[in-house]
Amino acid sequence: MYRRWLIVFASTLLLWSLVGQLNHCLAPYSVFISAGGLMVTFAALRLNLRNGLTATILIALAVDSVEPVPAVGHHLLYGPHLLLFTTAHVFIFHLRTRFPREEVLFALGTALVANLGMSLGLFFIYVELAAPSASGTAALRMLADLGWSQLFILVTAPWFFSLQQRALELCNFDLSEENHRFY
Amino acid sequence: MSSKRFDQAKPFLTLGIIMLGWLMLPVAVKSFLRVSFAELQAPGQVTASYVRDLQQFWADRTHSKDELIEAARDLRHVYAGYEFQAQRTEAQQAEIDRLERLLHLPSNPRYRYEPARVCRRDLSGWWQQLTVRKGSNYDIPVGAPVVYAGGVVGRVREVRLYEADVDLVSSPQLRLAATFDDDTRPVSYQGRSNPPLAPARGLVEFVPPDIVIYSTAPRRLVTSGLGEFPAGLTIGYVSRLDTSPDGLFQSGEVTLDPRLTELMEVTVLVPLPPG
Repeated sequence: MYRRWLIVFASTLLLWSLVGQLNHCLAPYSVFISAGGLMVTFAALRLNLRNGLTATILIALAVDSVEPVPAVGHHLLYGPHLLLFTTAHVFIFHLRTRFPREEVLFALGTALVANLGMSLGLFFIYVELAAPSASGTAALRMLADLGWSQLFILVTAPWFFSLQQRALELCNFDLSEENHRFY
Repeated sequence: MSSKRFDQAKPFLTLGIIMLGWLMLPVAVKSFLRVSFAELQAPGQVTASYVRDLQQFWADRTHSKDELIEAARDLRHVYAGYEFQAQRTEAQQAEIDRLERLLHLPSNPRYRYEPARVCRRDLSGWWQQLTVRKGSNYDIPVGAPVVYAGGVVGRVREVRLYEADVDLVSSPQLRLAATFDDDTRPVSYQGRSNPPLAPARGLVEFVPPDIVIYSTAPRRLVTSGLGEFPAGLTIGYVSRLDTSPDGLFQSGEVTLDPRLTELMEVTVLVPLPPG
């Protein structure tokens, strides 16, 4: 039997590999896309806590597995994406009842804000904690990459939310059930 | 009322438990999870890389026969030059071996050249890495130097079964001992945070104050031979040096080859056991 978290995880893994391919092609132009906000938004807005958080944890582990582990002092900080993704997920989940969470426009706004927060979080972990001497140029690069990333999310988010919703519907999962089951 | 409060706090309680659990998890378990998830994604990355190769193959097929004959003729000229150089290198190596035996010197490290296709370029503001399509299945060790036609690419950071991650020379995590091409004194090279929409750069430090560089004649920075890299490989070019506040050393920016961000194929230098 298919699980909701598995379907959401699989579709997010597809997005993650597409972003990887895009970054591969954009590397000669010194442009880097990060779409962490988009990866957690659907799971946090539309699924219950257990299913959503499971999907988010799995995708965060997948992202962490291919990115370098930052060294803070003499220690390696494993799982920076796990910490950021789960935190973003829980915050979105906590606030979702106050907003029209089924609206694409609201989900898009949430993804953009979450992505902004995650980029700042990554900057803090990889630059401020791991390499504070390089923060000047890194901040400039982060701002430029954030701009490209937000543009990417703006363009792809409606397609991605629709993909996840259709994938769940194809497996006979009723998302309206999730509206009544929060936890 | 208290049940509602608990419901509201439940997500944060869960988050706290997850974070605490993750921080307390032994490093061995974290490493295992890291390797497992990376291996899970490896087939996807490698397949995408093969698809790109196929795409290139079909693009190459569109060239006319005349173009191919012309390219083959040019390659023959280049090949003849390289063949002559290879013979000279072989003779020089034999001479080095003879002198080493004669003077009882320790021999220079030798390498096996392992060409590898790049399957993923991941160049962000805070890390700069490549993933190559060969791993422990080709006996690639962690720390092995990676080179290309233009000089140093980087160093192998992590090896999986079918893939290896390489820290690029532009990565802030990579530090090398270097020298200027006509000077034997070692200086320190380190990658820098890279600017947006501009080529990658590095930083050279601890340059003796008597070394002078004019912006009209940039000087080549090469590997010193200290460490895992063989001597004389190009790192980049330095066109300006600034004296440090204490006046003891100079430092400057290193311009790296823009081809570094477009690499399709690299060579991993796998050290051979002595003797």
